[in-house]
Amino acid sequence: MCLFLTETADSFNMDAYTQLTPNDLLQLLQSVWVTLYVTVIALAIGTILGILLGISRCSKNKILKYAPLIIIEPLRNSPLIVQLFLVYFGVPVLTGQVLPLYPAAIGTLALNTAAFMAVQVQTSILSIPRGQWEASLALGHSYASTYINVIAQQAIRILLPQAITLYISQLMCSSLVSLLGVMDLSRLAKFTATRTMQPFLIYGIISAVYFALAYPFTKLAKSLEKRISINL
Amino acid sequence: MSMIEVKNVTKSFKIKKEKTMETLTVLKDFSVNFDQEGVTVLLGPSGTGKSTLLRCINGLETVDAGDILVNGLSVNHKKDLSKIRMDCGMVFQSTVLFPQFDVLHNLTMSPIKLLKMPKTEAEEKARILLNKVGLASKEKAMHNELSGGEQQRIAIARALMMNPKALLLDEITSALDPEMTSEVLKILESLAAEGVCMLCVTHEMQFARHVASRIIFMEKGSMVCDTNAEDFFTNARQNNERINKFLQFIGE
Repeated sequence: MCLFLTETADSFNMDAYTQLTPNDLLQLLQSVWVTLYVTVIALAIGTILGILLGISRCSKNKILKYAPLIIIEPLRNSPLIVQLFLVYFGVPVLTGQVLPLYPAAIGTLALNTAAFMAVQVQTSILSIPRGQWEASLALGHSYASTYINVIAQQAIRILLPQAITLYISQLMCSSLVSLLGVMDLSRLAKFTATRTMQPFLIYGIISAVYFALAYPFTKLAKSLEKRISINL
Repeated sequence: MSMIEVKNVTKSFKIKKEKTMETLTVLKDFSVNFDQEGVTVLLGPSGTGKSTLLRCINGLETVDAGDILVNGLSVNHKKDLSKIRMDCGMVFQSTVLFPQFDVLHNLTMSPIKLLKMPKTEAEEKARILLNKVGLASKEKAMHNELSGGEQQRIAIARALMMNPKALLLDEITSALDPEMTSEVLKILESLAAEGVCMLCVTHEMQFARHVASRIIFMEKGSMVCDTNAEDFFTNARQNNERINKFLQFIGE
């Protein structure tokens, strides 16, 4: 036993272990992919669900109007990290089955996104003046046709900047899935910083990567905003 | 059978006064018929239910009691509302062009979507109507590039795109300055001369005097007088102190 330890200590090169290698770059790219994969799928699901919940919140039917609050309010008023732990560690206690990591992480992030998106959709739709509804209805459009042809196009203009801000915020929040064990950018940063003992350098690089991921979205938002620009 | 039959309609609104809710009855057991001809002007002080009557005919307000039939279809049947609204084009006091579209698209969107009119035909018709309202050069303009009067003229053209049997005009010149008002009234006069049937709520007495074929004076949700323009400004005025006072008040 003693011999083995001695041999290991002799052959172990501490400098080589703490140095950054091309393999780290490969791992970085992999973790960027994981972060994007988790975030994009969660945002896509969250957006669709959020739009449905938001439209439901604008209904005159009381059940359709208030039922979404059962989902929206708890999700908006508790930390995402608690929601992730509740789903990944809590739900298996009830069901007796361990949830797969990625669906649990993505599903929770999607629900969280949907809750915030629903409120943004609702406020965007309700901010369209009543006169727009009446002008469209008076021409013979149904409520559905008015929604699609008149209201939605104006509401999107109001919604888009808020939605992009939410997307960027959720991209940052996606780092919390690392606490469940998802090997995303943040988890890789933690491991690499510990190994290399260069936390400033590693976290600096990871911050720059997050920035590089988020910044194009900001630009995209602006260009989209211009493209569908309407002179409200 | 008249085109529009208003039968014993009652309509009230709940309004909040201090901390209690009060019921304000705007139309009281109101009945009137409109045929598809000429220009009918609804006159009366503010709050007498003129606009509410138009909004009830168009189905934008539900009636509390009674019924309104437009070409035999009841506003109380939700499935008939779209047809009723296509028959009764409505233009509002505050201009409500769709801001995301240019002028041409504002005009063509509804006939393309609702009447399944081919795009080229819709655009051709839109250009004819824009020409009629004197705005042929503005087809690519957005709403914020237009004056209030121009917007109202486009709103009139947009309503006409649906081939309505009657136009319901709800104080469409109230928010305009005198110059723009005269622009819009000229268009209405020319439409009247072409035989377009109109039902107008207005305070433009000159328009009522010269263009209206029928004048209905309302007060507190009831009809005070229903006669032709000439009779209204002579006999009805002399015989009814309330009408006389109203006309004096607005400088007639």
